[in-house]
Amino acid sequence: MAFIKLNDLEIEVEDGTNIVEAARQNGIEVPHYCYHPGLTRPANCRMCLIETYGTPPGAPPGTIAPDRQLATGCTTTVRTAPPERKYEEKFDAIIRTDSPRVVKAREDILEFLLVHHPLDCPVCDQAGECDLQDFSHRHGRDKSRYVEVKNVPPKKDLGPDVLLYSTRCIVCTRCVRFCQEVSGTGELGLINRGSHDEIDIPRSHEGNPIQVLDNKLAGNVVDICPVGALISKDFLFKSRPWFMDKEDSICTGCSVGCNITVEYKEDGVYRVKPRFHEDINQHWMCDDGRLGYHYVNRDDRLQLPLKKVDDEQTTTQWADAINTIKEKLGEVEAEDIVVIGSAQGTNEDNYVLQQFAHDVLNTTQLGLFGQLPGEEHKYPQFTIESDKNPNTAGARTILGSANGNVVLEGEDLWQKVASAKVVYLVSGVPDRKLQDEEKAALENVEFLIVQDVLPSEITELADVVLPGTTFAEKDGTFTNSTGWVQRIRKTVDPPGEAQVDWQITQQLAKQLGSEINYSFAGEISIAISENVQGYEEATHQNIGDAGVKLA
Amino acid sequence: MVQQKRILYEHLDVPNINTFDVYRQHDGYKRFEKAIAEYQPDDVSKMVMDSGLKGRGGAGFSTGLKWSFVPKDIEPRYLCCNADESEPGTFSNRYVLEKNPHLLIEGILICCYAMGIETTYVYIRGEFTLGKKMLDAALEEAYEQGYLGENIKDSGINVNIYSHPGAGAYICGEETGLIESLEGKRGQPRNKPPFPAVEGVFMKPTVVQNVETLCNLPFIVDKGVEWYTEMGPIYGDARFDPPKPDPNTGTKLYCISGDVNEPGVYELELGLTCSELIEVAGGLRGEEVKAVIPGGSSAPILTHYELDTRLDFTSLTLAKSMLGSGGIIVMNETRNIVDCLLNIMKFYAHESCGQCTPCRWGTPWVRDIVQRIADGEGRQEKITRPKFGIAEGGRWGDTGETEEIYEDLDLLESVANNIANVDTMTWNTICVFGIAVSWPAVSYMRKFRPEFEATIREGKLTTLSVEEATVPPEENYAFQQRIIPKEMSELG
Repeated sequence: MAFIKLNDLEIEVEDGTNIVEAARQNGIEVPHYCYHPGLTRPANCRMCLIETYGTPPGAPPGTIAPDRQLATGCTTTVRTAPPERKYEEKFDAIIRTDSPRVVKAREDILEFLLVHHPLDCPVCDQAGECDLQDFSHRHGRDKSRYVEVKNVPPKKDLGPDVLLYSTRCIVCTRCVRFCQEVSGTGELGLINRGSHDEIDIPRSHEGNPIQVLDNKLAGNVVDICPVGALISKDFLFKSRPWFMDKEDSICTGCSVGCNITVEYKEDGVYRVKPRFHEDINQHWMCDDGRLGYHYVNRDDRLQLPLKKVDDEQTTTQWADAINTIKEKLGEVEAEDIVVIGSAQGTNEDNYVLQQFAHDVLNTTQLGLFGQLPGEEHKYPQFTIESDKNPNTAGARTILGSANGNVVLEGEDLWQKVASAKVVYLVSGVPDRKLQDEEKAALENVEFLIVQDVLPSEITELADVVLPGTTFAEKDGTFTNSTGWVQRIRKTVDPPGEAQVDWQITQQLAKQLGSEINYSFAGEISIAISENVQGYEEATHQNIGDAGVKLA
Repeated sequence: MVQQKRILYEHLDVPNINTFDVYRQHDGYKRFEKAIAEYQPDDVSKMVMDSGLKGRGGAGFSTGLKWSFVPKDIEPRYLCCNADESEPGTFSNRYVLEKNPHLLIEGILICCYAMGIETTYVYIRGEFTLGKKMLDAALEEAYEQGYLGENIKDSGINVNIYSHPGAGAYICGEETGLIESLEGKRGQPRNKPPFPAVEGVFMKPTVVQNVETLCNLPFIVDKGVEWYTEMGPIYGDARFDPPKPDPNTGTKLYCISGDVNEPGVYELELGLTCSELIEVAGGLRGEEVKAVIPGGSSAPILTHYELDTRLDFTSLTLAKSMLGSGGIIVMNETRNIVDCLLNIMKFYAHESCGQCTPCRWGTPWVRDIVQRIADGEGRQEKITRPKFGIAEGGRWGDTGETEEIYEDLDLLESVANNIANVDTMTWNTICVFGIAVSWPAVSYMRKFRPEFEATIREGKLTTLSVEEATVPPEENYAFQQRIIPKEMSELG
């Protein structure tokens, strides 16, 4: 640990920490644009200038004075110095981020940054979460002295989801470095020179794109753009950032379990952004996950229970649907029932389902259902996994946690389903296509109960359809492929009369005389921690924002 | 009358000196042979250190000291010869490349021997097509004659030299910009530290030296340190007790152009004054000296009051200017300083690489302001600001008084100083290109303020007489703050 004097604070930081981070850890803001903790540091924005102290040449030992040149905070790192090189006999470095020179330098740099920047904040998507706005407000001049003509480079379409408003660009090159270092695809680069620098994709002489920004991580360049230059087409002009509420959650696109922030209003989810997790996704997420939230807002979401009457599905009341199921379950033997949990469902959903199957229906035959495997994509610093479910590992463990439970998957499961009389299938998988053997098996079932969020091939076959909820509408936990248990949180309300999945299962259990009675998801997590091996630490209280890694 | 001291240029005019045979007749490669026969590599390094040779590219950093920073335990190490001579007003390396390329190769060989380097890149300015042709031919001859390649002359030394043309960017003459360009990337300077001596070409230790610096090596090896240090002054750095020697030894290839009767490259001992140099170049063309640019277009300008400044690295730095590449441009009374500044600013605004904020957007801004003034559209409004001058105690500082100044001149000074500050000699940019822009801008404006003011007032380019155009010495910030260094012999 290095012991440094930062302004008037005397603080300890890890060896090798740069000053921007050291200051951030201690509540001091060092404004910066080009520096991003997940990328290399070119120090080209010159915004994070700081004042370092040292002994001037020729001065007697022990003299401490500001160095002649200001240094960039992002590239200045501190290290433990040998005793004879310590300042005032204890400090490894002395740094000021608030000296008059630094304050003036920031003001000067900001003036340069705003020379060609348009004053279009009122129509800019970034307004409200824009570093240029914020730092100008806190560190900038009150008016511009620039009276010459501004550069007006063109607006560009870079790829499927990314637009570039070149006028707003401050050429920090975060996006260029991202495409080189993290995605390794290198679509973006700088063209022209000097004040005519522009970000662009490779183009022919006629200006036609040769390569577009269409790698699966492309959306991240929008997040890391400190100004409104790179804009997501998906979010363009949809909302001002300050009107949206935010909640931390986990991406459901694959089994990586990227940490995300869901931004939403009363009428639905507006966008999803990655959230830092050192061991899982660092600062990034893929576009499949980023744009995968749309099904939550769809108009055709299941809102009321459906019941098949004379081969025709009609809407019905919850009480009627549950009564119908209760009657049917009473008619069959336990071994003719198959209960299938979902890899898209939370650990809590699956735990209650497992309890319902084991304790109420007395069946040990469980199945695991989920999205079909997709493609795996490997990038230099990021991997998108082929398992497109967020909770395969968790659902598998939890469904099989009770004595004697067998969790069937794949062919075994569909063979079993084909011979069953009643199947209770919890799906919640958006746009799941059924394969032939799956369809044949489900068609064979005498009485099929499907709990789902969207109408699909599966709900079409069902005798009773129960409207469930998506990740955005419930609390719970997911276990990712590397054993991290992480929290998802409720953002928007479920549509219509749709209910949280474990509550539906609990209602069924109660109707069948069970005493299962949880009042919130956290309570279930305590039950899981008590009863499921490996999940001892995984209560909501322990998980918090950081997650818990299974032993 | 000062005489030229031709060392590097001694055989420059010998017909066909560019061929191996003629070069060999004039002691060619014998100095390299002497080096490997008589000295250990470390001895050569020590000789260079003791000679006080300073890098001739512009920064004037001690060559021996630079070599001492190169870690000896990391392989491979590289030598990068900077032949990207693009500073306006500078054309000395070009003569070496076009006329006597074998001298450069010999210099490279000695450097490689001293540093244990096997690979050298010569980065040649793209426009030097003839220079590259001549060097390539010389390289081919040197390979044929066994002075390059594997096991040179049975000494066990391997040296390969590759010549690499630039693509016409000024900034690729900056050592790290050059390295980036050489590696095939966009020519943008790197942050320092790490310096190229530690992480240079392909992130390996690299010595980057100017053509002229390398050409000095054969003579240092041949004639010895004592002979070399007799040329040029050795100053004492009075900040240290006892004073630390600050050698400005050897000769310099001064490129003299502008209003002199015989412009050209003159090889002279370091430490001559500006006036002496004008005399060497055939005297002034015109009536009076109005201004002198002492070190390529990026150096702050000198007025006729400052012509007694000695043209060496230390003296010029302490006079708030710089020797830079030694490109000296003389201007007579007919020249308009606003126009000169516009010319220079157009060049720098075009050549800014655009990597870092102050330079990318400050440089064109400065150009636009000067352009507006030169077009006669300078704003007539004046502002009041604190006046700097000779303050209490006879030192330069805030006088406590105020002065009126045209808004555009204040803006010009302020914007330029925000890129790199002439008063504190600091810069907010990644590389020293910021200095090349702002120091001239501020120095021209401050030292020839009456001419700028007249141009704004009249609404058109207005050339004043030398006396009227120049601020008097007592108002000249550089003249007042300059320190005239003392030679070691004077300090005792």
